[in-house]
Amino acid sequence: MWKKEIRLAGSGGQGLGLAATVLASAALQAGLYVTTLQSYGPEARGGASRSDVTLSDQDIANPWFSRPALLLALNQKSWAKFGGNLAEGALAVVDSNWVEAHEYPGVLALPLEQMAKAELREKIAANMVAVGVIGVLLDRLPLAILAEAAYLKAPKGFERINKAAVELGWHVMEQIKGGVEREHIGGA
Amino acid sequence: MATELVSGNEACARGAMAAGCNFFGGYPISPSSEVAEALARLLPKNGGVFLQMEDEMGSLGSVLGASLGGAKAMTATSGPGFTLMQEHLGYATLAEIPCVVVDVMRVGPSTGVPTAPSQGDVMQARWGSHGDRAVIVLAPASVQEIYEMTIIAFNLAERLRTPVVLIYDEVLAHMRERVELLVPHQEDLWRRPKPSVPPGPGYRPYLANEEGVAPLPNFGDGYRFHVTGLMHDERGYPTTQAKAVSQLMSRLKNKMEPVTEWILPESYRLEDADLAFVAYGITARVAKEAVDRLRDAGILAGLFRPRLLWPVPVTDFQKLLGHAGIAVVAEMNQGQWVEVVERLAPRSMQVLGQGKLGGEPMTTEELMNVAETLMQKGARVL
Repeated sequence: MWKKEIRLAGSGGQGLGLAATVLASAALQAGLYVTTLQSYGPEARGGASRSDVTLSDQDIANPWFSRPALLLALNQKSWAKFGGNLAEGALAVVDSNWVEAHEYPGVLALPLEQMAKAELREKIAANMVAVGVIGVLLDRLPLAILAEAAYLKAPKGFERINKAAVELGWHVMEQIKGGVEREHIGGA
Repeated sequence: MATELVSGNEACARGAMAAGCNFFGGYPISPSSEVAEALARLLPKNGGVFLQMEDEMGSLGSVLGASLGGAKAMTATSGPGFTLMQEHLGYATLAEIPCVVVDVMRVGPSTGVPTAPSQGDVMQARWGSHGDRAVIVLAPASVQEIYEMTIIAFNLAERLRTPVVLIYDEVLAHMRERVELLVPHQEDLWRRPKPSVPPGPGYRPYLANEEGVAPLPNFGDGYRFHVTGLMHDERGYPTTQAKAVSQLMSRLKNKMEPVTEWILPESYRLEDADLAFVAYGITARVAKEAVDRLRDAGILAGLFRPRLLWPVPVTDFQKLLGHAGIAVVAEMNQGQWVEVVERLAPRSMQVLGQGKLGGEPMTTEELMNVAETLMQKGARVL
């Protein structure tokens, strides 16, 4: 059984709910089982709000988890709140513009907001850049499906930007992955 | 049929529409508000009525009036609002007015934690209204089941002429998952029985059919009948005669009894189980995962999940759970349905309640720890 528990965390308003929706819709499209849960009430505003996504190739019994296998942290507060409670061997993607998290071994620090701003002139699309990065890490959702989901679920006027942001994140992550793999081969 | 990613509250609203609901009267309250929000969008577009009332008493009052007018009517609320509705719920039971009431449970008592889940209203749903009455309470455990059970709730309400309560918690309300929105066939949507005699002196409004249900015409159909919260005879006239009162009370209870055969519990890996979890709603999903993981660790665990909390599915309970030596009743409260299990379990069975308070769902690890400790020490010692 394949199952991945993903926590998307950041400040309320950074688009984590939308990121969860895009991942979940793409997963549904790809024939996977999926559940999402997100902060509700005062927790959903400011500070460290979260959207949890569980993906699996089988029916998901329990949608609630405390230790994710993949964490996205878009701000320091959410890293402080959730970074210390990860599953064994978990990966964490953090926005290096905002989060100091270098000591953690499974952490991948990327300037998500800066990438969105530089390439797409929309720093708000950092959430979708992150979705692209996560897509590569998951290795289960084809880029085409993910980009299509980003397009369909985008707020009016953001369809192309969000799709492009997912593609940007995807390609950057592929390059990093390729680099890591080459390094491994070189080292061996 | 469409497969969609929807939340529990959205699924409830979509299920109501699929069931033919055409009236919602309510007052928004966390964590149920999205049911009202969705129906405020869906009902007017489909010829229905959405009415926001001044409070929860008015909400259920409007629902009862609409139902007597022939509407398939519902409301949705949470614990505090559910409390305010208890008077009208008792009235609806005695006056036999079909309606669906959804209670999305949050932490209480009182205002409590409005945004956090609990399973604290199980006994309120059973005994919240005064007097001696039978109730129907359904407890779904997935978004899919919320959709299906909302349709079932309307069917039961209509067929048995009674209020039906659907309860689930904040997590199920807001989680989204894959749902197949199966549209029921028209013939699978039950309607309240209608009188077979024409209006006039031969019509007895509370004369029951073979299912113990009195046929119900709509207001305006030409039938004259009295709707009252007083005990009444078959003609609808108030009565204090012991025989008539006890007959009516018995009929209202007895007509609910077939429901335990219609809404069966889920039994998961119970056949050879030494330890049975008993859990409903979101907690049952956690328990299901615990069952699998415990079995991987060599402990024969199983799960009994009532889908109908009231009336209690007595026969199945004894049949399915009889083999296990230990029952752990897991619920997000200080022990409510555990009382049912204690009452019905065979004498040889050890029954333990495992509660969880504070507004976070039970975790798989917590349930596994309880089970492992029990199996190591032996239930008797504890």
